[in-house]
Amino acid sequence: MHLIVTHFGFLMQGVLFTLGLTVIGFVGALVLGTVLAVCRVGPITPLRVIGSAYVEFFRNIPLLSLLVLFIFGLPDAGVTIPLFASAAICLALSASAFTCEAMRGGINSVSVGQAEAARAIGFSFVEVLRFVVLPQAFRAMVQPLVNVFIGVLLSSALAAAVGVAELTNRTQQLNLKYAEAVVCFLFAGAVYLVIALAGGTVGSRLERWLAIKR
Amino acid sequence: MSLLSSVRRRRTAAVAGLSAAALVALSACSSSSASAPPIDGGGAGGHLSAYNKIITAGPVASDSEINANAWAKKIKQQGYLKVGGTDSGPLFSLRDLKSGELTGFDAGLSQMLAHYITGKTDVKALTKLTITSVDTRETMLQNNTVDAVFATYSITPERAQKVDFAGPYYQSGDSIMVKKGNTSITSVKDLNGKTVATESNSTAALAVHKLAPKAHVLLFKDDAQCVAAVQQGRADAYVLDQGILLGDALSNPAVQVVGGDPFTVDPYGIGLNKQSGAKPFVNAFLKKIFASGDWAKLYKATIGTVVKGKAPTPPKIGSVPGS
Repeated sequence: MHLIVTHFGFLMQGVLFTLGLTVIGFVGALVLGTVLAVCRVGPITPLRVIGSAYVEFFRNIPLLSLLVLFIFGLPDAGVTIPLFASAAICLALSASAFTCEAMRGGINSVSVGQAEAARAIGFSFVEVLRFVVLPQAFRAMVQPLVNVFIGVLLSSALAAAVGVAELTNRTQQLNLKYAEAVVCFLFAGAVYLVIALAGGTVGSRLERWLAIKR
Repeated sequence: MSLLSSVRRRRTAAVAGLSAAALVALSACSSSSASAPPIDGGGAGGHLSAYNKIITAGPVASDSEINANAWAKKIKQQGYLKVGGTDSGPLFSLRDLKSGELTGFDAGLSQMLAHYITGKTDVKALTKLTITSVDTRETMLQNNTVDAVFATYSITPERAQKVDFAGPYYQSGDSIMVKKGNTSITSVKDLNGKTVATESNSTAALAVHKLAPKAHVLLFKDDAQCVAAVQQGRADAYVLDQGILLGDALSNPAVQVVGGDPFTVDPYGIGLNKQSGAKPFVNAFLKKIFASGDWAKLYKATIGTVVKGKAPTPPKIGSVPGS
């Protein structure tokens, strides 16, 4: 424990990096995932095909492969993006596929009659989504989106392998010096647990708040 | 078109086709990359029979020596040595992807020790490798998942509180690799203010922190990634064991190793369980192969293929803190 106390500042910087990766990755995934979900449920065939192709590709490629391709492959093509930005982009790209599916699931959970009724009174596609479907769909999306958030948080540890000094990376550095693997990784595990639990709590609150409003 | 019909419609075939095309494009792009890691580390890969001869020419312990040590007795009964290490370390412990044989300086020593105890001559069956990392080595020794760790395992007083170290069996040191033509880095002091890559499982990061405190250290998972980082300009330099860097520079003309002696002294030891009582036995084995010249022969066949000159004098057993 002494080890953790002495290097608390060093580890907390790592926690900040982890939080940064998670928040940027998750927000990016939300934005991109929404666009994709709209593409996938929309009436325009080429957009639906692109959306589906994107989801099938990024949902099925391991994040570590994506990171290595992005960080060591792109420079050969003349594009060098800083490590932190690369990791955040990869997290967002990968998580947006899952976000898209969570949102599509939510949209599909709204009964068809709702959309048909809205169409019948003359709403456009965007208006159907904006005023009728999405507000109802959002409640069903909350828990799947919490899953995506936790997924992003835990996947951010993979960035340690490609040189981003986030929590796992710093834990490894400490272990290197002090040979205290159990203590170091228990601490890192506890931090991940706390952040994930916090994310889950926010999700539950949100779900309850939305339920009351309905 | 209603929302319903567009939601339910599926275009599976088109999707599969498109994502397959994307995959092909991506993999084609990665295979053309100039920084692909070498499959054999330029080490002992091609000379297997000669390598095997060096192992089996090593000494074999007498029955009385085995019976005097409970640890050795146990290994002899089990018939092979459970080794903790890596299979992706050029020069030290690298698995040949075709034949499945493990060769290198660390691998060779573990095989020699297994041969010393069991007397068997089938090199491939002498040891069973469990992959260990810096994060797991001490724990796997403590719970007897492995009998001994041969993994460019630097002896440090902190680690010696958890496990026993036989040796040191090799003194190495860290050197600096830079992009070819880079003249701004000639010594460790020049690393201040620069971005330095190193392996996340190496003590090199500690040396850099100590000797060039203003350097920005990037930790990558393996050797090939560090080399790529230097080659692609993500890092100004790559610091690691000199032998490994020389091996990399041999197979990759885009990088060079800064001349001169290594700037650290890094003693490698054989990690052993503290309760096993194996340390005196393994030390006696090391002394034997130091004296017989088997150690030097193994060195010449592995590290000696990239480090020029004669095999060095073996370090003195127990000469560093923690051993």
